Amino acid sequence: MLKYILKRVAAAVLTLIIILSVVFILVRQMPIEGYFDNFDKLDKAVIDARLQQMGLRDPIFTQMKNFFGALLRGDLGTSARYSVGASISDIIVKKAPISIRMGVLSMALSLGLGIPLGGAMARSKSKLWDKFGTVFIVLVNAVPAAVYYIFLQAYGSNALGISMLFEESNPVSWILPVFSMSLGSIAYYAMWLRRYMLDEMNKDYVKLARAKGVKNSTVTMQHVFRNAFVPMIQYIPSTLLFTISGSIYIESLYSIPGMGGLLVDVISRQDNPMVQALVMIYSCIGIIGMLLGDVLMVLIDPRISFARKAEVR
Amino acid sequence: MKRISDQLAQRAEISAEKQLRSVPEDQLFDYAPRSEAAAERTGYSNYSYWGSTFRMFGKKRIALALLVVLVVLVTFTFIQPYLPGQYPATKIINHPITGKQMSNIGPATTTEIATAPEGTGLVVTPWQDEEWLAVSNVLATIPARKAITVTEHLDQWVKVDVDGKSGYVRNDFTTKLKMPDDPQNVPYESRSNFAIKLFSTPMDYTQGGNELFVRRDDVRVSGDGLTATTVRNASLRLLPTEAPFLFGTNNAGQDLWGMVWSGTRTSLFIGFVVALIEAAVGILVGVIWGYVRKVDRVMTEIYNVINNIPTTIVLILIAYVLRPGIFSLIFAMTLTGWVSMARFIRNQIVIIRDRDYNMASRCLGTGTLRIITRNLLPYLVSVIMLRMALAIPGAIGSEVFITYIGLGLPLSIPSLGNLITVGRKFVSTPQSYQLLFPTIVLSIVTVSFYIIGNSFADAADPRNHV
Repeated sequence: MLKYILKRVAAAVLTLIIILSVVFILVRQMPIEGYFDNFDKLDKAVIDARLQQMGLRDPIFTQMKNFFGALLRGDLGTSARYSVGASISDIIVKKAPISIRMGVLSMALSLGLGIPLGGAMARSKSKLWDKFGTVFIVLVNAVPAAVYYIFLQAYGSNALGISMLFEESNPVSWILPVFSMSLGSIAYYAMWLRRYMLDEMNKDYVKLARAKGVKNSTVTMQHVFRNAFVPMIQYIPSTLLFTISGSIYIESLYSIPGMGGLLVDVISRQDNPMVQALVMIYSCIGIIGMLLGDVLMVLIDPRISFARKAEVR
Repeated sequence: MKRISDQLAQRAEISAEKQLRSVPEDQLFDYAPRSEAAAERTGYSNYSYWGSTFRMFGKKRIALALLVVLVVLVTFTFIQPYLPGQYPATKIINHPITGKQMSNIGPATTTEIATAPEGTGLVVTPWQDEEWLAVSNVLATIPARKAITVTEHLDQWVKVDVDGKSGYVRNDFTTKLKMPDDPQNVPYESRSNFAIKLFSTPMDYTQGGNELFVRRDDVRVSGDGLTATTVRNASLRLLPTEAPFLFGTNNAGQDLWGMVWSGTRTSLFIGFVVALIEAAVGILVGVIWGYVRKVDRVMTEIYNVINNIPTTIVLILIAYVLRPGIFSLIFAMTLTGWVSMARFIRNQIVIIRDRDYNMASRCLGTGTLRIITRNLLPYLVSVIMLRMALAIPGAIGSEVFITYIGLGLPLSIPSLGNLITVGRKFVSTPQSYQLLFPTIVLSIVTVSFYIIGNSFADAADPRNHV
């Protein structure tokens, strides 16, 4: 098992290096305006000197070597347009806590609502809860998140009588962003839990338990739910992944001063070093999420075997 | 010893036999029609995979209804520009007289503002073309504090004579006419402290100063060309055209109806192309990956790397680096999208490639290409179609997302994404229709594809067949 985990971590690190290099090389292809806050007013000599100073005229491999070196020291470079000359790590350290808080809250909410919904759907197959849940899942999955977020913001803030924008000190204004952020995951959890529970209910051991006279609720809780929940564990870190994409959207929609809103900001201002740093951070979160999912799965489910099956070739 | 009942039965049999013999032979037998139920009982089956799939699909009423809706909608999207009376999607509509953009006009089924009954006097304003005439029912503007003679009192309006002209004047808080104690006792002098308009009818067709357009056929222009009289019930229109703004116009004065359908075309195009490319690349790679054993290990490692990259990030990065456009969006979406398709095809191929019928086929000398196209791929058609059906709403959603964060298509190429992003600003204003219409069309398209795709997958699953 340890060998598998080590291998998985190694694969993740390799992926990370590949992605960081690709991001780095791609951002180098951007126009150089993105490194200056007042490009139009500078003359050519100054631009050249500044580019030289930033090391952007070096061969790409030297640049990459310097970049990875700086990365290991925790230095992400400095912002060029968004907040001129400020260290990117400082900006992000200031912005990250709020994103993390929102992410954790929305994850708690999506687990707290999605799992009961999935369970209720599985238990009342083709009845009220199942129908309601199916409609909910179809809508959330099929209608682009961008669209229902907008309506949720407009009509939700109207109905609750609160401002459309986020205020950190006002906990009521947290409700809508956190709820919107968790909608996708609620649907995701409900859908898969229902499917796994239905699969599990048709298995022989459940029929045996019923035949033995075990109470229905005990069968559902002790056998069906427990077994159905195991494959779900893999999704929990990828919920984190999902809230990344959700939070980019929601943070800028509600003007939440977090990392996702920051990404939209720096993209519209074409701040190359900041875009590069944020994209890298998001890919790291994504990769770590997947890695944790796989590792958790291995740790929890004893049925996964690591002996390579003799392959028939 | 025979029992009586037996004898009776024998006798009955004999008489029945006699009866039967009297019937001509060709009337004795009937062809039994084919009966599904009977066939199934004997174990006979003319089971056809696609037949069962479509039968199962046909049972799903909602999916079937949505399929019809979707087909109609997609067809309409493509024929819409060729229908009569359509505004080109990105054309900015200017007012022919003032030259101003026709911004934020609410949705309506007609351009008609009012109907003037036969015999209404109108003033011709100096604008005309072959078909249309600009008119107004404002005869004159009466300067402030000028004395007017009221000849009839109609509550909200009064009929007046002034400078030899006869017409109607509003009698409300906007004009504050000086009224005697008994206003019904006409005629009397009156005046207003404001400049007031003299209308030819007790109704303001201009609704506060709009220019009106009327068809030339509907009016008779006087000899001097200054006035006109309607010869039948005439429609007074907002613009010299009968083509309405069904979805209203946007802030820039473009027809939202044309924009929405053009945007739907763009979004569907992106969706279809993404789905096709993902399917083509996915199938090609998946087949090689699954069939050629040597590449399996390498491909699996590549898959692990690509699958680890968050799709959203790829989308953002590619859209940021490339210039925004339809094809850079398609490129960004397909860059990682084919991987899951390839993986899926690979798994299926690995399962079925060594089945006996394929072994037999290989032993008989069938070429690899033929095995793949004839023996393997037909198994996967239904699942490939499902994946494609689900890729389309996915791509449309990604387009909306990428446009929202500012990396999408420019406004000169309408898409559902940029229409929604623009409309978002109007969400809590009276112009919220600019968000509503693109959203409704988008939701119909994506929900239909999603439900049809899922229902089709259920129907195509042989486990659900009888």
